[in-house]
Amino acid sequence: MDKLFPTQEIGSLAKPSWRVKGYRGERLSKEDIAEAIGWGKRLGIANLEMSAEVLYGKDSVKKRKAVLEWSAKYAIRFLESAGLDVVFDGEQWRSEMYEHLARNVDGFEFLGQVKSFDFRYFNKAACTRRPMYLRPFYVEEFVFTRDNAKKEVKVPFTGPYTIAEWTFNEYYEKRLRGKVADFRQRKFEAKRNFIFDLIAEVVRPEIGKLVDCGAKWIQIDEPAATTDQTDDEMKLFVESFNETVKGFNCTFSLHNCYSNYEVLAKYACELHNCSQLALEFANRDSTQLGTGDVRSGYKELASFEDSGFKGNYGIGVIDVHTDFVEPPQLVRDRVLHTAKIINDPKRIHVSTDCGLRTRTWETSFQKLKNMVLGAELARRTF
Amino acid sequence: MPNGVNRWISMIGCYATGIFPRPKELIAITRDYERGRIGKAELEKAFSDATLKVVEAQSSVRFSYVIDGMFRWQDPLRPFTKNLNGVKIGGLARWFNNNTFYRKPVVTGELSWKRDAGSKIADIERLPENLPWKAILPAPYTLAQLSEDNFYKDKTELAMKYARVLREQIQSLVKQGFNYIQLSDPALVYRPRAAQIPRNEVNIASEALKLAVGGVSARTCLQTFFGDFCQILPEALDFPVDDLGIDLYETDVNRLKGYKFGKGVALGLIDSRSSLVENESELVAAAKEIIKSIEGDGESAFFVCPNCDLEFLPWERALEKARVVNRVAERLGEELDG
Repeated sequence: MDKLFPTQEIGSLAKPSWRVKGYRGERLSKEDIAEAIGWGKRLGIANLEMSAEVLYGKDSVKKRKAVLEWSAKYAIRFLESAGLDVVFDGEQWRSEMYEHLARNVDGFEFLGQVKSFDFRYFNKAACTRRPMYLRPFYVEEFVFTRDNAKKEVKVPFTGPYTIAEWTFNEYYEKRLRGKVADFRQRKFEAKRNFIFDLIAEVVRPEIGKLVDCGAKWIQIDEPAATTDQTDDEMKLFVESFNETVKGFNCTFSLHNCYSNYEVLAKYACELHNCSQLALEFANRDSTQLGTGDVRSGYKELASFEDSGFKGNYGIGVIDVHTDFVEPPQLVRDRVLHTAKIINDPKRIHVSTDCGLRTRTWETSFQKLKNMVLGAELARRTF
Repeated sequence: MPNGVNRWISMIGCYATGIFPRPKELIAITRDYERGRIGKAELEKAFSDATLKVVEAQSSVRFSYVIDGMFRWQDPLRPFTKNLNGVKIGGLARWFNNNTFYRKPVVTGELSWKRDAGSKIADIERLPENLPWKAILPAPYTLAQLSEDNFYKDKTELAMKYARVLREQIQSLVKQGFNYIQLSDPALVYRPRAAQIPRNEVNIASEALKLAVGGVSARTCLQTFFGDFCQILPEALDFPVDDLGIDLYETDVNRLKGYKFGKGVALGLIDSRSSLVENESELVAAAKEIIKSIEGDGESAFFVCPNCDLEFLPWERALEKARVVNRVAERLGEELDG
């Protein structure tokens, strides 16, 4: 992109209540409909009366599909109205980044809820058979976004290392019983087998279909990349990324957040075909204005430069876990600070730390608008 | 008790080594509570009901000691983060190499217990009178390593301070009737990037242990997990505890075999981080080989146990694993007795 400091989405937006209830087949309240109409007007959604018609309609497979399409249309327009240069659909077609993929692939069985923290849990699956491709799981969503977006499109894709890391690995561990006596070695080999089967049977076939349908840029989401920081595991992660993207005529980037960046930086150079690292920093940073020492949250960016990474960066300038709306001047200073570290402003894209799904649309909109304004302020200094 | 060829084995028992997963109905209640749909009283009742259920589950699989399930513990450090003066609840941090998170204790002042802290640690009212009780607490070294310290001189001083406050709690637990105290020390063996823990760190952990449990009138154990136990050998053999707990899914078993233990060993044979139910015969064979190879001079107890907290699994699968714990212990007892 020729523009300096292009702004981009990273992942999911919250799902409006009319999307959640409408897809579940539940009756919508007046407030739900009013929310849909209100945002529709605000975003300049065409044929708004049709959206209301869909929402009032009786539950059916057709209606559920229409609800998905309308919410995707809203989310695309939401991101474009905020002024982003690179957009997607806020992952409105996906239940959640892990579950959506696991439910659309053969070989996964959900075992139940396990604790994430406090009173938060996640539904964890076990791989009980060799993973097999059942049906496209991102293609329809991408095609819809491609046809409805006016801006450049980037497709978020949950990476194989994260899928394996978040799944119990029953099938492959069992297969190595009696073959590998050492428990540690058995678990590692089983994980490796799981990841590479997943890549061959599921991930690459889906990427192939996306590319065939015109996807130009796919972002591999690997939040689990540094969960296990041993050299063997980090090498396995790198190998899995390289195998995932190998040979496709498409741009790939990596998104990783809430992780150990000192560790990731050491391996970043070994990622082939990784045009951009989209990283979370705002969460670690102060909210004071200025560049230099005050920008403590961005210190690990230097580790990537020191390690020799030559690609672009998606710099997280918006904290997705707080309702604090970053002023444009703060965004500007964060961008300018990182431009100094990298010493090449052309390598900087401006992003949120991660998906905004935990924030309301109102807060997300304000944050994104300020992100765009802040990038513009930074642009003016060059 | 098994005797015969393995005269140095005083007993083979079994137990849990950490937090149990919350049963499905308790998860639903905690969600309702978080969304403001129910009040504290209903939440408390659900915790109590689940505690009775987990006690019954352990009793039915004949665990040698029972725990209260630790359902109220939001993370393995929380009763300390929440109930100590001088500690504030910090941000979320990853729990070692797992997809679960804990709140970082931020030390801002002199450590001391808040009033009535003991009742937040164990639910003794629901523990059975006819079975021995086990309490599980974080070890001082792990507490210090996982804290952000803004008050004490260094982590060593903090570890010793944690050890002193732990001792107060341990003495109180023993007084209330706990027969077995486990201190969990994952930070002592978790080394993702360095091959070996520095020896002075092992000595600090040992000193802190002495302060925390030295001379306590209950059976004590230092349970390690998420890392290779061998790296704290040979010093661990002199730690002031009765038993040493080993995560056999992270430990180089061949290296382990070169040492003569002479104290009890908790064999972390059941993998809490995998939903695959283990093959009992394989575990019995592995346990026999280890037990025979680390024979010490005196008599020792062996415990079959999960390698770490069962809460990495959904409730039903954790129960299945608890049954495996029991069956492996029983088979081991039978096969070694003679």
